[in-house]
Amino acid sequence: MKVKLDVGRYNPEADENNHFREEFELEVEDHFTVLDALMQIRDYEDPSLAMRCSCRASICGSCAMKVNGTSGLACNTKIIDVIRKDGSVKVDPAGNLPVVKDLVVDMQPFWNKMREIKPYIQVKGPEPEAEYIAPQQSMLDLVGAVGCIMCGACYSDCTVLEVDNNFLGPAALAKASRFIDDPRDEMDAERFAQLNQYTGVWDCTRCMACVEVCPKGVFPMDRIMSIRDKIMNAGMKNTNGARHAEGFASIIKNYGTLDETQLVIKTFGVFNPIVALSNIKSLFGLLPVAFRAFRKKKLPPIFHHKIVGVAFIKKIFKKLEA
Amino acid sequence: MKVAFYPGCVSKGGCPELYPATLKICEKLGIELDELEGASCTGSGVLQEKDRLLGDVLNARTFAMAEQKNLPIMTICSTCQGVMAQANKRLTDSDHPEYLEQVNSFLKEEGLEYKGTTVIKHILWILVEDFGVDKVKTLFVRQLTDLKIAPFYGCYIVRPSWALDFEDNPDRQQSLEMLIEAVGATVVDFDGKTRCCGFPLLTINEKNSVSMVAKHTSTVQELGADAMVTPCPLCHLNLDGYQPKARKQSGVSIHMPILHLPQLIGLALGFSPTEMGLQRHIVSTEAINKAVMESNPV
Amino acid sequence: MAVYQHDVIVVGAGLAGMRATLAAQEAGADVAMITKVHPVRSHSNAAQGGINAALESRGDSWDDHAYNTVKGSDYLGDQDAIEIMCQEAGSAVLELEHMGVIFNRDEDGRLGTRHFGGQEVARTFFVADITGQALLHALYEQVMKYNPRVYEEWFVTSLVVEDGKCCGVVALELMTGKLHLMKAKSIILATGGTGRCFEPSTNGLVVTADGQGLAYEIGIPLMDMEMVQYHPTTLKGNGVLMTEGARGEGAYLLNSEGERFMKTYAPNMMELASRDVVSRSEQTEINEGRGIDGCVLLDLRHLGRELIETKLAYINEVALDFANINLAEEPCPIRPGNHYEMGGIKTDVHGLTSMPGLYAAGECANVSVHGGNRLGANSLLDTVVFGKRAGIHAAGYSKQIEQINVPDSIISKDEERIKSFFDKKSNTDTPATIRLAMGQAMNEGLAVFRDEAGMQAAYKTILELKDRYKRLGVHDTGKIFNTNLLFAFELGFMLDTAETICVGALARKESRGAHYRTDMPDRDDENWMKHILVTNTGKDLPVVSFLPVNVTRWEPQVRSY
Repeated sequence: MKVKLDVGRYNPEADENNHFREEFELEVEDHFTVLDALMQIRDYEDPSLAMRCSCRASICGSCAMKVNGTSGLACNTKIIDVIRKDGSVKVDPAGNLPVVKDLVVDMQPFWNKMREIKPYIQVKGPEPEAEYIAPQQSMLDLVGAVGCIMCGACYSDCTVLEVDNNFLGPAALAKASRFIDDPRDEMDAERFAQLNQYTGVWDCTRCMACVEVCPKGVFPMDRIMSIRDKIMNAGMKNTNGARHAEGFASIIKNYGTLDETQLVIKTFGVFNPIVALSNIKSLFGLLPVAFRAFRKKKLPPIFHHKIVGVAFIKKIFKKLEA
Repeated sequence: MKVAFYPGCVSKGGCPELYPATLKICEKLGIELDELEGASCTGSGVLQEKDRLLGDVLNARTFAMAEQKNLPIMTICSTCQGVMAQANKRLTDSDHPEYLEQVNSFLKEEGLEYKGTTVIKHILWILVEDFGVDKVKTLFVRQLTDLKIAPFYGCYIVRPSWALDFEDNPDRQQSLEMLIEAVGATVVDFDGKTRCCGFPLLTINEKNSVSMVAKHTSTVQELGADAMVTPCPLCHLNLDGYQPKARKQSGVSIHMPILHLPQLIGLALGFSPTEMGLQRHIVSTEAINKAVMESNPV
Repeated sequence: MAVYQHDVIVVGAGLAGMRATLAAQEAGADVAMITKVHPVRSHSNAAQGGINAALESRGDSWDDHAYNTVKGSDYLGDQDAIEIMCQEAGSAVLELEHMGVIFNRDEDGRLGTRHFGGQEVARTFFVADITGQALLHALYEQVMKYNPRVYEEWFVTSLVVEDGKCCGVVALELMTGKLHLMKAKSIILATGGTGRCFEPSTNGLVVTADGQGLAYEIGIPLMDMEMVQYHPTTLKGNGVLMTEGARGEGAYLLNSEGERFMKTYAPNMMELASRDVVSRSEQTEINEGRGIDGCVLLDLRHLGRELIETKLAYINEVALDFANINLAEEPCPIRPGNHYEMGGIKTDVHGLTSMPGLYAAGECANVSVHGGNRLGANSLLDTVVFGKRAGIHAAGYSKQIEQINVPDSIISKDEERIKSFFDKKSNTDTPATIRLAMGQAMNEGLAVFRDEAGMQAAYKTILELKDRYKRLGVHDTGKIFNTNLLFAFELGFMLDTAETICVGALARKESRGAHYRTDMPDRDDENWMKHILVTNTGKDLPVVSFLPVNVTRWEPQVRSY
């Protein structure tokens, strides 16, 4: 099978400002993966092609990169599945991280964020002599998150990191949730406090890019959502994010459909002076937006109607809240 | 063709131009709309965050209502589509039939029961799959050949792939481009077309939300686009409504009209910009209006 | 020139390396880890099945574990070392659990076990089929907690010796291409196995016998190198591992006639006989025409989808991704493949080699606890037990001595080597070509069944390749992340190590453990129950010598399963 590998390259020693593309025309076996093709280039055509790889079996996490614009592991991406109509496959280094050379990126920001969430069991009292007693199900429930091979594919495709590289990112947050969910770890409150702030769980935009590209089924976004839920259940509701989620739920419960005006009021705590004060900048910032919308008759109606059957909706909510 | 119409919350709220535009084009296309009165919000991913079961029950209720009418559901919002698709997959998971039973137990009182047969499709997919691009083209009276348009899908209609049946329907991932070409316009392709508009972050981290708007709109502007088209009114709210802020925050002089998908179809079907509600947009569509009115008839 | 100096330097950041580092740090030493890849990329992460330990608290006895290990080793393992490993296994596993490893549990929430090869009692503790990864990541989490110094993506090119003591390393910093002299009072080699000397192999591309090569170069003996384990269940295409845990959960091995052929070779333990026995049985079936396309079948269908998707999720994914097989619906073709090196750098039970200041632990070392064949789930145990012991001993040793002085100019030797590689860049030969030829030759002559002619042929090829290597040039002369140069260094280590494997194999005139000679099929305890050491003395040919096996309680017996 013929394939053209269109590789995003970079050699700072030659020209530190020039990220260029190079095409390699290859004859490969039908079962070849993107990694097999790249190694063929590196081993037999251009030994200067830099990349990280080791296990060839999707367990070491070294070979995360972008194939046709989407992140994943090169070693389990089959050429036959990604070859485009023009016979090419586009390969680029992982995103959201500085490129060192060709397909090698500087992973330090990724590791630093992992460290920030304190990825180890922390207990308050003494350790038991033998093993901690832990229900089998609790260990099984952690296999998904422990299965994270820290490849960085989620980090590479995260849409928030594209605009704000302070965000802790899906991998670190998923790892944090692994410790929150571990019955042996006793630092939930401290972890919640950290993750409840800027760069933490509320900065996720729920775009599912991380879930889509994770090669291991870690479902990072789902784990971030579960931390949000736990934070709210622990009574930490003094964030716009928590107010937004609770406000949304209460509006649906009482009306059946969403009233955007009420949602904004509840999220910014307009009728709660302390909260409103902390949101004063956002509230003032909303004025021009609301004004423009008003001028164009683009505002939601002042009176929001309850839907037919809203009583049943309310009952459903009540049953599940119990 | 007849559908159970699910307009969602925003098409009657913050994007009130979308609802009448949809009604108009469906009439011309011959899609008979039976609006689902009493259907609740899908939960938008926000409710699901708090309680996934709750979200699934509310959506099952909507599905059951459509099932009673024996009609597929048509959505006009990427977020509604995605949330419903995910819910439907969980409810029809043959490995866990007990889940549907559990969900149905909450619907009993209202006399509803979801049997798992409802199909949910965005009008985007209906046009490309049930109609087919060629048939749709025969109904167009205008060719918008002077326009360059960038697609912007909205996260929930492109991810996660396990919920959206891409394997059986590969055209879905190119559907917006296909329709842009069908109306005669040129597609402005860019990597950000499947990224996030930032809407969910609006009240939590406005700076990042607006940065996303700035990034996508300025990118397509640089590529020469005259407008963006999106099947998601939440994306529209952000890309259009917050574009002035994006301009200010980024320092880039962005002016990128954002069209709802039904509006684009409507313009090709012969409706005027006013009939499609373009005057309600925050970012003026004057340039588009002119091009449309001067465009070639088919 | 920047000065790098520590009490203890650990080369390699896999399970053994990280365990040694943490132990040395806890013992108060200023310890640093040098690793050519980020710690979690180390090949320990590919171990799947589990870690053995006899927990007294549940009525298991370490004696039984030790006996199984001795028998499994085909009586080549040193029994004092094996006793120590089995005695310390219980506390090692509990330590790991306290570090947060999510071991499988029983109904009472206590640590749960699975069956594994060569042992009748189930004493293998596991995490689904990703035990290696779970352990490796847990140790890295401890490294992030305790923060020892890590020189990440630095590659050790040679060991520094002064006054007959090992007192430092020279290392290439991959990000900048700079060579550094790093002094230490003790060095612990924890660089892993020899997998890439063979083609195919289950091993990742980074497993290039670095420690063995480094030690061999300075005249440290390598012991029992001929004992190379071919794992019974590897995928045909890319040689990737399918865990023994599958058989531990009850999977069958079938030949082309659909029979569970292990009943002929190991009627008691069947599919869970020791690995060398199973590999030879499979190869016999294949050679005698009862294979399918050079493979036999691993059948998991009767285990049911739920078990496969929970306890064996990773190999389920591997089978689908790399062989297009759905394990719940069809049997999977597998065959024996290169997997593990029982042999290695000779050490005592503290990880100390024949040279003061130089230690080794993990797969690159040979204490010997695995002798002629390693039981499944004993490798993970070996790494943490002996990694810890080496770390403690090296830390203690460092407290007693002063840093030996070495002149900065000592790095000039490696500078010369690099220059020589660059000078030869017009030579069209490449590391990949030579490596492939080596791997294929080793897989031909030193696999499951060996004979004199085959081994000699392989040895001859290795010597030819060593000659070719002398002329090998490196075409990429860049400084930043130059993998071309890295591969050239690694190839040198692999060729030297491959030579010791050939020499050891030719020297052993019997069959024992993984070393099975069709021309000498019997075990000869009278003459050959001894270790074979291969040492580089700077002459053309290495020197072969012998060491007796340490026998404490178990006299050699006929080994049958």
